Amino acid sequence: MKKIFTTLVLVLLTAPILSGTVLLKGGLVHSGNGGTATVQDILISENIIVDVGSNLIIDGNTRVIEVNGLPVTPGLISPMSNLGIVEINALDVTRDDESDLLSAGFSIFNAFNPHSTGIPWNRSNGVTSAISTPSASSFPIFGLGSHFVLDGSLEIKGAKDIAMFGRLGSSYGSRAETLSLLESLLEIGELAKSVPVEEILEMTIADKLELQAQDIIALGKVVNDDMPFVIETNRAVDILQALALKEKYDLNLVLASVEEAPMVLTKLQESNTPVIIDPMDNIPNSFDELGSSLDLGRILDQAGIPIMFSTQRSHNYHLMRQGSGNAVAHGMSYETAIKGMTQTVAQTFNLDNRGSIESGKLADVIVWDGDPLEPASFPKIVMIEGQLQDLSSRSSKLTERYTNKEDKPSSYKH
Amino acid sequence: MKNKVLIPILLFTIISCSESFNIDLSFGDSESDSINPGIDNAFASTYLPMDSEPILFKSANIYDGLGGEFRNYDLLLSEGKIMEIGESISAPGVLVIDATDKWITPGIIDIHSHMGVYSAPGVSTSSDGNEATAPVTAEVWAEHSLWTQDPQFALALKGGVTSFHVLPGSANLFGGRGATFKNISQNTIQAMKFPGAPHSLKMACGENPKRVYGNRRQSPSTRMGNMAGYRSAWIDAVEYTDGMNKTNEDRRPTRDLAMDTLMGVLNGEILIQNHCYRAEEMAMMIEMSREFNYKITTFHHAVEAYKIADLLADEGICAAMWADWWGFKHEAYDMVQANVAIIDQARNGTGCAIVHSDDAVGIQHLNQEAAKAMAAGNRAGYEISKAHAMRWITSNPAKAAGILDQTGSIEVGKDADIVLWTGNPFSVYSRAETVLIDGAVAFDMNNPKIQPITDFDLGIIQPQANRVQ
Repeated sequence: MKKIFTTLVLVLLTAPILSGTVLLKGGLVHSGNGGTATVQDILISENIIVDVGSNLIIDGNTRVIEVNGLPVTPGLISPMSNLGIVEINALDVTRDDESDLLSAGFSIFNAFNPHSTGIPWNRSNGVTSAISTPSASSFPIFGLGSHFVLDGSLEIKGAKDIAMFGRLGSSYGSRAETLSLLESLLEIGELAKSVPVEEILEMTIADKLELQAQDIIALGKVVNDDMPFVIETNRAVDILQALALKEKYDLNLVLASVEEAPMVLTKLQESNTPVIIDPMDNIPNSFDELGSSLDLGRILDQAGIPIMFSTQRSHNYHLMRQGSGNAVAHGMSYETAIKGMTQTVAQTFNLDNRGSIESGKLADVIVWDGDPLEPASFPKIVMIEGQLQDLSSRSSKLTERYTNKEDKPSSYKH
Repeated sequence: MKNKVLIPILLFTIISCSESFNIDLSFGDSESDSINPGIDNAFASTYLPMDSEPILFKSANIYDGLGGEFRNYDLLLSEGKIMEIGESISAPGVLVIDATDKWITPGIIDIHSHMGVYSAPGVSTSSDGNEATAPVTAEVWAEHSLWTQDPQFALALKGGVTSFHVLPGSANLFGGRGATFKNISQNTIQAMKFPGAPHSLKMACGENPKRVYGNRRQSPSTRMGNMAGYRSAWIDAVEYTDGMNKTNEDRRPTRDLAMDTLMGVLNGEILIQNHCYRAEEMAMMIEMSREFNYKITTFHHAVEAYKIADLLADEGICAAMWADWWGFKHEAYDMVQANVAIIDQARNGTGCAIVHSDDAVGIQHLNQEAAKAMAAGNRAGYEISKAHAMRWITSNPAKAAGILDQTGSIEVGKDADIVLWTGNPFSVYSRAETVLIDGAVAFDMNNPKIQPITDFDLGIIQPQANRVQ
């Protein structure tokens, strides 16, 4: 089994870098758009999916890769990660996810390290691109997240500062104070629509909140604008407060965590707000999330709310597969789960050319060795923008070294 | 301007790992010629099984937890014990449950839990797992911190967990004693304690102790400081043990709680569960166990165990591991998903591998964690069956906790700690349908009356309802 797999990969990797066209033939294609999977061929030219259908006609120059009925999905997109900006959580010198100077305008984009070990690891596990975000601080807004393509290239591919991230809930002071602070920040954003940034900087409030020009500019983008604002919150009343802010400031709101969402389901439904959830987190970790349960995914899905997935586990963003699999075990529809790792993320964050297997989209495609929602499944083929990716990682190198039974020091096994 | 919010989960992860090979376990009810019987019987278990009636599962698929797989078998439980496993059992008058197309496994066991000592909600008032006031606190007992109303117990039960070992945290070189519990919420800690299970002693290598005490400008602040701290304590313990063995009672030392614990290890009565990530540190801990003549049962969180797999197999030491956690600290950087499989397969398959959780979410899905570890091992070239991998979350942790004689496998005469799964337990879609502890139904997914609701859960969001339905 392993031998076949290795052979397949070797054939793929030793072949010349793909140019022209490739046909992924006869895969069970989950297009990512919420439809049922069907057996299809996928024709890829350069970096684009040009056709999806049965028995596609190809010319003699097209390379054919037989998929033999294995599941195929779009490349997974993590909506909230620290990829490329945190190497080791407990080592501050390896972290670029926090700012002492900036808040709403803190952009992590220029800190992204395409050589971070988390990137090949998550890529080999099926995550082809990710939104990396600043980490939580006591301030209600942490900064701006960017989208990154995980091909490891120094030529960073991605979209800079595509969403703002913040939170609402228990903090050091009263949540009423946090909410009022959040509102003041959004007022400044509204002001930034008509008043020059320099003038706002002169105002007492900007001074009091220690705002920099970048913060004010960023706040201007979330108010009455398209830039998504992701607010992490859990308690039912806090969710309602966030929805009220959406209404008042015309926010493109995305809610994350939302463990008590089932209690405010109708309001959430009416507001047309997408959510990011960790379906496995059913622990009442704080007094903000007493309503936490494994039924969250099913309840949100049945209400038609767009769902995406995060995971608690640092460095393993691919585990959103296990999370969504557990959501399916508790009643979420299978295709909502696949869509939640692909097209819903692309649609929510305006990544228009990704997230589904449809002609015209960038060819981020995964061929799996089994059901992609089973934690024990693994990618056989990872393609990013039409390029087949090497599936090795530091972890796979260590595995090779320590399963090599040659009798010599391990440092000579390479 | 902005204060960092502490991300609570991973900073104080602790490990404990031990293995009961070749240890003559003396249980709490022993009336042997112990030097100090008062110590042995203190805080003994008062656990009593819930009422049960005989149950016959018909046509089940069974993993016995020892590597065996039986298709279409019957299983008879009676008087809290496993009575019979066979192809066609008839037992007139007993409750018959049709288990066609379903799977039965032993109750899942977690060798590394902080339930009850880091209860939910994770607030400062429930932070009872690390007595981080001195690097050697062998005198504290995790069970003395346990909160019986922790809602995490019931969630773990829904994941098939019937027994779990609660350890102190890893801030200290010697964190204190761990204890094993049956997963039945009761109002006293003794009533939950696994009858006859030995205590463990939690030790911790590496980053945590040196960070906690180094930040206070005290020893240990380095890994060599860690070693000096352990060795100094063992020197005292050897002297204390010698003193306690003196025939003249007047010449024995004054009783000391910390030394009692270390003496218990030297006497082979208390099992070492040792949080240790790095390979060379584990090897160093083994050297130290030779220096002072005690046995290490398990290395916990052993992210680099695969680098010394043969050594661990030779020494008869288990490694308790996650399937894929990494990167949260430097000593967790060299993760391989095949770690569990490499340990398992060492020295012709004589290694002792355990999948553990150290986590209130992970403990609910140990079957899925084992599935990932097995698949990774098979991708690395091994041929590990599901029946075999089931050992990692049943009989191996039972062995490491010193309770394999009572539970951890489906064998006639053992405690009827059993899970009936809706499908194959290695699938993400399968759920624990019925969980039995000592033959009594402790959880039934189809009967809300047989789903525990702790006091904490009761009426806390809305007075007329429970926290979770």
